[in-house]
Amino acid sequence: MSTTDHDLKPEEFGQAAAAAITDALAHDFRGAAQVLASAGLCGVCATEDAGGLALDIAFALPIVAEAGKLRLHWPLLETVLIAKALGDSPLAAELVSGARVATWALQGSLAEKFAGHARCAPDCDWVLVADGNGGAALVDRASVEIQEDAALDPEHPQSWLALDKAQVLATLDAETFATLQREGQILIAGYANGAAEGALSATAEYMATRVQFGRPLSAKQAVRHLLARMRLVQEASNAGIERVLAPDEYGSVRRTAPVLAHALANAAFVIEKALHLHGGMGFTWELPLHHALREVRKFDAAFGAGALARQNGRDFIQSV
Amino acid sequence: MHMEQNPTRPDPAAGPAAYRDYARQWLRAHLPGHMHADSLAYRTPTLDECRDWEASMYHAGLAGMTWPQAYGGLGLTLREHLVVNKEVGALAMPESVSSIGKELAGPIIQTVGTEEQKLQFLPRILAIQDYWCQGFSEPDAGSDLARLRTKATQEGDSWRINGQKIWTSGAAKAHYCLLLTRTGTVADKHRGMLMFAVPMDTPGIRVVPIKSIDGKESFAEVFFDNVVVPDSARLGAPDEGWNAAIRVLSIERATNRMYRAWRFDSELRQLVAACKSDPELAKLLDDGHTQRRIGEVVGEIDALKGLVERTVEQLMAGKSIGARGSLTKLHWSECHQAFMGLALSLVSHVTPRSSALAQRAKKHFTTAYLFARAETIYAGTTEVQLDIIAQRIMNLPKDL
Repeated sequence: MSTTDHDLKPEEFGQAAAAAITDALAHDFRGAAQVLASAGLCGVCATEDAGGLALDIAFALPIVAEAGKLRLHWPLLETVLIAKALGDSPLAAELVSGARVATWALQGSLAEKFAGHARCAPDCDWVLVADGNGGAALVDRASVEIQEDAALDPEHPQSWLALDKAQVLATLDAETFATLQREGQILIAGYANGAAEGALSATAEYMATRVQFGRPLSAKQAVRHLLARMRLVQEASNAGIERVLAPDEYGSVRRTAPVLAHALANAAFVIEKALHLHGGMGFTWELPLHHALREVRKFDAAFGAGALARQNGRDFIQSV
Repeated sequence: MHMEQNPTRPDPAAGPAAYRDYARQWLRAHLPGHMHADSLAYRTPTLDECRDWEASMYHAGLAGMTWPQAYGGLGLTLREHLVVNKEVGALAMPESVSSIGKELAGPIIQTVGTEEQKLQFLPRILAIQDYWCQGFSEPDAGSDLARLRTKATQEGDSWRINGQKIWTSGAAKAHYCLLLTRTGTVADKHRGMLMFAVPMDTPGIRVVPIKSIDGKESFAEVFFDNVVVPDSARLGAPDEGWNAAIRVLSIERATNRMYRAWRFDSELRQLVAACKSDPELAKLLDDGHTQRRIGEVVGEIDALKGLVERTVEQLMAGKSIGARGSLTKLHWSECHQAFMGLALSLVSHVTPRSSALAQRAKKHFTTAYLFARAETIYAGTTEVQLDIIAQRIMNLPKDL
């Protein structure tokens, strides 16, 4: 199916996704899988044979942005990407239907027998890991020993996986895995930027209604300017992400790493300032902004906490 | 890609890709060697050399892309304008010597000018036969033009103008001033604004150059002492010219010098190449912090390209961009200022024993760093842009 066949618009997917994600938030992990799958979100990019919509990754972007905005703690972007990468495999259909849930270890490999930064790993059925030779392997999570690191997020710890006895269910060749990694960077950037947008929107609303000394806090120039700056970086990330979806003027894919590094840094900035502007309330567990910050910081850690920007610099230097 | 020395100008209906290839080939074939800012052969071009180069670009079909054919333009779309701008940005060529004419006076005249004014001014702006300056700011009215004092009084078929302008870029070389005046008093705030195209050789005009931080005299004070101009110099009815300027400014803020992001890319390559040309400076590029900063600049430039391309597509779709131009202006000015800070920190290591290319880069980037101080001031300061974003994009209430 081509997108023009149905005259679909990616932004409309975002609006529809918001309702399904809001519904999913009221369910447990498996219930959420059913809600998200029923809404067609898990299979948005998967093949039609697998029960998916076979749409371009551009249609997944507004969906994961909504997931970020609404702070959905569920591996939606990973499931979307892995379902797409599995092609016509029967395993893809299981992900599309919500019967199974997959995540992706952003660090490590099968060759190293160790991997890490797989979101929601303990709750998932399958984990995608790099094989160490350019490709990737989908392994049965039950065959993997999980060690949790709760330092950054006690409610949703980072997961490390011992892969000594990993049982491989499917493999991805180097080309397919490279595509998945590239599209993964775009979707993670979109998720982080969505989280920033949600934090900014909540903060702007709070600042406009919270009255001190007889006036809303947004009447204070320092507050208005900080909010405007938060909006600027969030819009800049958005523009960069939109641009990287399309090929360049020569038909080549664009670099995704600079956009991801930029989006993660900007999202952290926006959410940190959102916490600050909420004052003491922002430092409480009650306000959910800290969940967004932890999630963005976990992604940042998965990409080496600044190493991505350093690598982008090295790549640029080498290109001259 | 094969480079033609004299590429064939594409058919206007050929589309953006044809214009991109043509622009790339023509610019690389014709830009004089000494005008390449990243070359050892570079020497500061004279005003006449810059004018001749820019005029040759126009005659080659690489300027006035979106202006109507009746007034010397090509009648093409913003997409062709953008692809040509990308190629202009990719080459380290001199900045336009006629940007006020092309990006401000021209669009305003197209919006509110009479047919006679359009035919008189527009083709000459494109052919770089006339330079323009912008007479908006005054000592008491910078970002807040409601405090404008320069007064225009009607006397039959003429207008008598008295007042003072400041920060007028290019006033010393300009043939015309796009002059903002008022017919009443400061109490009228934004009402009663009147715009004129005033010949700079009119008796009563005095230009006093101001030396800027980069050692140049690129702007000036301009005094208007009983300057009399005919009614035919008026651009639009009272308030019409100003309202057009506001509309044009909001678009221009997002689209002027559209090549910036690609020029920043080119500058970053120039900086890295200069460092690599010298063994001592090359070591700086091995530093993790420097690599990270360069990576961050790459990300910021990519985002700027995204903002520019998104603006073009929105305008092509007939959407109003309104205040969104402030996002682009704020992003490019702060991003470039920070980038120039990084550039200065690297070229500050250059000594007389460094490579010739490194020494050339030191001269270029030190001046560029100093000039970048102005980037968050002109075309609306950072604080003005932040206010616009807060009020007009985010709709933040000042009071309940």
